[in-house]
Amino acid sequence: MHVHELNPKKTVITMIIFVVVIIAGLLTIRSPRLKYALTPEQTVLLTASDDGGISPEKLELLLTGSTEKVEVIDIRNHYEFARGHIPGARNISAVELLENDNIKWLRILQEEGFTVVIYGKDQLQANGPWMVFRQIGFSNVTVLLGGYQYYLAYKDNKTQKYAPCKADFNYAEVAKASVADGEDNNQPAKKTTIVRRKKKGGAVAGGC
Amino acid sequence: MNKNYLVLAILMILLAVGLLLVPERQNYQQIEPEKLMWDITQTSRFVTVDQVAQMIIEGDPTLELIDIRPVADFETFSLTNAINIPLDSLMKPDYQDYLGIEDMNVVFYGNSDINADQAWVIAKRMGYNSIYVMQGGLNCWIRKIIQPVEPDESASQEEFDLYQFRKGACAFFTGTKVEAPDAGKTGIKVVKRKKGTAVAGGC
Repeated sequence: MHVHELNPKKTVITMIIFVVVIIAGLLTIRSPRLKYALTPEQTVLLTASDDGGISPEKLELLLTGSTEKVEVIDIRNHYEFARGHIPGARNISAVELLENDNIKWLRILQEEGFTVVIYGKDQLQANGPWMVFRQIGFSNVTVLLGGYQYYLAYKDNKTQKYAPCKADFNYAEVAKASVADGEDNNQPAKKTTIVRRKKKGGAVAGGC
Repeated sequence: MNKNYLVLAILMILLAVGLLLVPERQNYQQIEPEKLMWDITQTSRFVTVDQVAQMIIEGDPTLELIDIRPVADFETFSLTNAINIPLDSLMKPDYQDYLGIEDMNVVFYGNSDINADQAWVIAKRMGYNSIYVMQGGLNCWIRKIIQPVEPDESASQEEFDLYQFRKGACAFFTGTKVEAPDAGKTGIKVVKRKKGTAVAGGC
């Protein structure tokens, strides 16, 4: 006769505790602070969509006059920020933006219908952080096309268009045409090095 | 036998099966958003066009160039031995095999570096390592390698060395050397020199 058979209830209690512990473990299993709201597949679609950013023209419109609620975040370092930034921008680095307080703040902004525009020195700097925020569910976060560099250029010359993902050359043509053989002929061959610039007049598409 | 034992035993078995199934909810190892953000803020993922050119010329066996432009663009022009994975197909299982090959350094490139960087962010999230972005993309490639600009006389020796390297690279890539094309889907493009073409100033 086993010991536990003397007191069947004791065994049952032990086993129930065991089960409860496992269930509790399953329920609390690794719940990270931040979760991805978009699957990688959805993220791929995001990069292919036109929903990829805001042009300086549009940002200006939002910042001046309109009733739209906008928050601008500058993710460059403090030194660059101090040297010049978009009026009204807050200086928070990308990593700091993921801290608890800032996430809470961003959630509030999202609930209140704010558009959050993040920018870096160029679009590349803000591209990754923007993608992270989109992936963790902040659908109101957008990126300034061209970054601060292009914002300044736009301020100087309002006619410029930004098309970062277009090919500036007809690659095959250029690679073929610029064959180097300076030995026998040194004329600048303007005819053959046609650099076909693609039309830049098109709308600013973020998705590229 | 107590009936309780039977019930509990079945429950335990069910839980055990449940535990077995838990890790399968995710079929790939993603990195957490915080880690992803931290990696994004590091600039070590960027390689210059000069580095890429050098690796191609040296025939670096660990280099795996991935062209993320649409198929049509890839077919017109691509870098030596590049593989085409259009950005919108990045998550297709067929293409996943090209990522995460041991000892291979994957370099994404596009027209500029924005799209390549987006591909990088997604691949990074999926947990792939040894992945890089070619800075400036093909636009920069053309400007620096195919049409290098001679530095000013006041420029440093390094700049002249770099210019010499780019001139050599230009000759390499525009057809003075013709490589044996690899068979298969790598889509090697050897641009041969045309006889009648006049000379380019830059290279």
